[in-house]
Amino acid sequence: MLIQSIKQGTRKGLETTFLLGKIIVPVYFFVTFLSHTPAIDWIARLAEPLMRLFNLPGEAAIILVMGNLLNLYAAIGAIQAISLTSSEILVIALMLSFSHALFVETAVVKQLQVSGLKVVALRLTLMVLAGLIYGTLMGGVLG
Amino acid sequence: MMDLSAVFQEAFFGSLTSVWNIAKVVMPLMIVIQVAKDYRLLDYLSRFMKPATNFLGMSRESGFPLMVGLAFGLSFGAGVIVQSAKEGNLSKKDLILLSAFLASCHAVVEDTLIFVAVGANGWILLSARLLTAIVATFLLSKRLKHLTHDDATQLQRENLKQPVS
Repeated sequence: MLIQSIKQGTRKGLETTFLLGKIIVPVYFFVTFLSHTPAIDWIARLAEPLMRLFNLPGEAAIILVMGNLLNLYAAIGAIQAISLTSSEILVIALMLSFSHALFVETAVVKQLQVSGLKVVALRLTLMVLAGLIYGTLMGGVLG
Repeated sequence: MMDLSAVFQEAFFGSLTSVWNIAKVVMPLMIVIQVAKDYRLLDYLSRFMKPATNFLGMSRESGFPLMVGLAFGLSFGAGVIVQSAKEGNLSKKDLILLSAFLASCHAVVEDTLIFVAVGANGWILLSARLLTAIVATFLLSKRLKHLTHDDATQLQRENLKQPVS
């Protein structure tokens, strides 16, 4: 029975790796190409004025844009390139923890037969709420 | 202008690395899960998670995928969920609630440590994220009241129509 279980587990493991690989590889290509285009900078520049809502400096926009469109590691790189206070870093971390790597992760979630658009809407809403609430707290009471 | 072939190389090797990283976790994970399932250990685990899944409006069978997603990440959680759905253990309501929860809260160790590395307070981050995901999923489950768990068999039938990938 144990051998049977291991065999079946291996088959399911291969199946799952293949399923996830099929989704992740093309999205990974898209995201890598995107990261080499000026699109990220353009979107970040558009988002700069919104940063005031979260009590963040305008430069923080690039961090949020990179985190959401690429991944958290790209965002961390951007955090290190900009000088921020520790409460600003916490606000950004809270926002990005709800919403990040949207292309890759939404492609994966769509395998569960749910609407990708709704999932993205939920995550962006949570991100904005977190930014509004904690940004206000950090800037005012706790800052 | 960007160097197309360098970008292509970066994407090619980067994506292969990420698939390899997934395989390294998924293969042993699926074997352990299968053994645990066949030796009825998963039942104990689901019973242990029952208060949590009950509160979130999910069926008992959602407990295990929920834990995998929280601990290992969204892709792994989704992988386990797809397998469970194929076996017909998850209803449409489960899938929606699991997606909502895991989309906002997953890979809690990795994602938290990334930010701790740049100076954020991990405990605040983790508790705020968990609490928010719980509240959001709870509210969503109230809105989905009309969906029962009875549609699991139908979902299984739909799944069986698709070729096994």
